[in-house]
Amino acid sequence: MSTTTDARALDQGIPPARYARGWHCLGLAESFRDGKPHAIRAFGGKLVVWQDSKGELNVLDGYCRHMGGDLTQGEVKGDEIACPFHDWRWGGDGKCKAIPYARRIPLRAKTQRYETAIRNDALFLWYDPEGSPADHDILPYELPGLAEGEYSDWSWNVTEIEGSNCRELIDNVVDMAHFYYVHFSFPTSFRNVFEGHVATQFMESTGRPDKAGGYASGGTDLFLKSEATYYGPSYMINWLWVDYKGFKTEVILINTHIATSPDSFTLQYGLIVKKPEGLDDDTVKIIAEKYTKMFGEGFLQDVHIWRNKVPVQNPLLCEEDGPVYQLRRWYEQFYVDQAEIKPEMVERFEFEVDTTKANEFWHEEVAENLRKKAEEDAEAGRPVAH
Amino acid sequence: MVSFAPTSPDTAEDQRLYTEARLVEVACLDCLATVRVKKNSEQHTSIQWDAESLSQCAEFARAASQPGGRPVRAACSRLRSSIDQAVRDGAIEVGATDGY
Repeated sequence: MSTTTDARALDQGIPPARYARGWHCLGLAESFRDGKPHAIRAFGGKLVVWQDSKGELNVLDGYCRHMGGDLTQGEVKGDEIACPFHDWRWGGDGKCKAIPYARRIPLRAKTQRYETAIRNDALFLWYDPEGSPADHDILPYELPGLAEGEYSDWSWNVTEIEGSNCRELIDNVVDMAHFYYVHFSFPTSFRNVFEGHVATQFMESTGRPDKAGGYASGGTDLFLKSEATYYGPSYMINWLWVDYKGFKTEVILINTHIATSPDSFTLQYGLIVKKPEGLDDDTVKIIAEKYTKMFGEGFLQDVHIWRNKVPVQNPLLCEEDGPVYQLRRWYEQFYVDQAEIKPEMVERFEFEVDTTKANEFWHEEVAENLRKKAEEDAEAGRPVAH
Repeated sequence: MVSFAPTSPDTAEDQRLYTEARLVEVACLDCLATVRVKKNSEQHTSIQWDAESLSQCAEFARAASQPGGRPVRAACSRLRSSIDQAVRDGAIEVGATDGY
């Protein structure tokens, strides 16, 4: 490979040696309530989740402290999870409760347990490599009206992402231009606010009329107002107010992930639609499925980019880009010991992206694409597309 | 300890440029808050608060005392006016330097 002295170097950096402190969402609580053990890949290992007889959801490290058996392939016996290897029984408090073939239980028979919480119908666990007690004050925002049945049922999806650190997903919070190029939407207004453990993106956009699929569905008839907030390192609530030809819908998209290794993560996204007055449940379900498909396609568009890109610690920015460095400074707070959190990581920061030049150029580009397409259609004798 | 350790010393300088360079202090005309501001263009604004200025913002304090609503505070309208005034007064130079 040849190099020139004035060529800018790409600093790929070294991936983190630890995982983010905070509340992490494992999935819809209901999905763990079938009396069976469930495996969750997380933080370089595996966790076991099960429901006990009191309805409590428990989370332990997935491997038995006896001989390393995989507890997620065991059985729920009474309130405990039984190892498939030698039937050692572990309780939700992390203690070994019984070894049926043994006279007594070793005093040190205690495994790693995680504190849990239920929020917005989902199960969360508290993770901190320093072992601090769970901070319930920073649980994600509780969605009003959810318990009251004002929303459709959850449409929930799980996707494994291999070959990327989860910070690639976080970077999207500030990436205005990728919404146009990757997701085929047309952002007109874009703003960020970071404060404490919370980071928000405010965006207004339409669909691109010159593209199909993803966020382009609906074209310029689709007006989208979006507020997306990360509550901690991994759980985002995205409020979407969609106006399609005067038909207004309120959609809530949950975008949450768990790091499974330094270069892989599990992405989960769930969607609910606020039931509009006068619409029956079946219609609301169809709307929810339509938006789930749209945002599902959106994530796949990101994944394709992530799979093929390299990590970059020194991104070169132009004036129209969002505050990548400030976002990463904010994200850093979850990767240092609590005593090491610097004021600038949590201090409030606001950034308004200038979209004027981008919008000017994109309008021209879209018009040119539509003109070319009309020409091609005319040549091929196809009727003009609408 | 950093989540992604840079491998080049130049990266630290980039971090400084993008997060710290060209920030100008602006005092709110309505309360005691002083923030640091950068304007790369008329529409662009970058605002760096600190714990002290945040505790002094009267508009945020009023918003916090209102019941209901989400906790994310989009912007303080009084600070925005103060920044606009600082631009008119020539206290803030509008324009970017090589992308930062």
